[in-house]
Amino acid sequence: MPTDTDKSVKGDKLDKDAPSDKDSDFKSTTKLDRSTFVGEGPIKLRACLQIIGFSEEKEVVELGQGEAVIGRMAGCTIRLSFTNVSRRHARVIFRNEEYHIEDLGSTNGTYVNGIRVAKCALRNNDQIDVGGVKMLFIEERILEKT
Amino acid sequence: MRNASEVKPLVTFWGTRGSISTPGRITEKYGGNTSCITVQYQDTHIILDAGTGIRNLGIELADERKGTENQLSLHLFLSHTHWDHIQGLPFFQPAYLKDAKLTIYGSPQKEVFLAAILKGQMDPEYFPVGMATLFADTSIQEISEEVIHLGEVTIDWQEQVYHPGGSVRYRLRVNGKKIVYATDVELNRIFQPDPGSGEHRAAARDYLEFVSNADLLIADGQYTEEEYLSKVGWGHSSIDLLLKTAHEAQVKQLAIFHHDPQHSDTFLDQLWRKNRSKYRSAYEKMEVFWAREGLTLAI
Repeated sequence: MPTDTDKSVKGDKLDKDAPSDKDSDFKSTTKLDRSTFVGEGPIKLRACLQIIGFSEEKEVVELGQGEAVIGRMAGCTIRLSFTNVSRRHARVIFRNEEYHIEDLGSTNGTYVNGIRVAKCALRNNDQIDVGGVKMLFIEERILEKT
Repeated sequence: MRNASEVKPLVTFWGTRGSISTPGRITEKYGGNTSCITVQYQDTHIILDAGTGIRNLGIELADERKGTENQLSLHLFLSHTHWDHIQGLPFFQPAYLKDAKLTIYGSPQKEVFLAAILKGQMDPEYFPVGMATLFADTSIQEISEEVIHLGEVTIDWQEQVYHPGGSVRYRLRVNGKKIVYATDVELNRIFQPDPGSGEHRAAARDYLEFVSNADLLIADGQYTEEEYLSKVGWGHSSIDLLLKTAHEAQVKQLAIFHHDPQHSDTFLDQLWRKNRSKYRSAYEKMEVFWAREGLTLAI
């Protein structure tokens, strides 16, 4: 019989919020459907650029799987109205299941972790600098709900 | 429209790992593929070493070529033929394309012909298809000229003796820039404690002259100073000594390359954080970074 010192988890279903039933004898095991364990949706890479230094609040731009152009010009996906930023400064693209940043011939360059790059495959927590504007690249893999 | 001088040579790192490929989460930032770098200028494609990184390069080149009628002409320079510098070659897609041209260059000082060594790794005991299945117009050359001219790029080279079996370093001059690839060499045996003997002094002088004023030096920095103590004679350099010699040679940008298989991303990042002030203050005019897979620099 269970005692007060017994720390094992008990219940008649996998539901942490369900009330425990200390008096149950648990004579049988509840059978779970395989879908309980196997995620049905695909794993998706979700990424964003966290723009730092604009204001007190950090601005976060979600990256899709299309091209995101960073620049001063109207129409850029991420518009940065600073004179150090070129009209079309850099772009972020999604290729071969990973994000890449590519300089578009900017005057002041695109930097990843302090190195001026022509292109670079991005990894979580890479620090990007575009004309003095600093951004953090953040990515995570999530199970997409279907 | 840009004029020719504005077009810069592009240097891309396809594999930065030394000794053996190290796939997995702990190496995804700096990369797990072994040595492979490209230098592209206009229509000239130069590949430095054929470690496992060359596989991804091959996929990209084959993709880019789809729908075009341009012949792919590639020049592969091997530093030497240890596994981590040739193992990707059988997986290099353009080598199987009938209309591609692949010229492979390597040291003339091997006891066995370069062609025989490369053929050996495609022996049926090691690989399911033989060298004869490389349908590209392939030519394997042991370098005979002092200087090789490929389009606007000129390449010269030197043998490096302080690596088991030897290795070759290459210097590319293009558009007024100098790019040096000098991996798999034990600088500690040339420079420490001092280049005492005549032989060591000559080796030190040759090295410093060769890498002098490089706009980019890609060089072997496999070990920390502490690790090196138990790796003497293995043919690789310690990071601090590499920094010191590169700085003495007035290198402008140094890519520390051929990462040890045991050096995870976390290890390299911690090493960087620990030493960055030293790197930046002691070597103020030299930009230093860890070579990283998937990185392209315009030089």
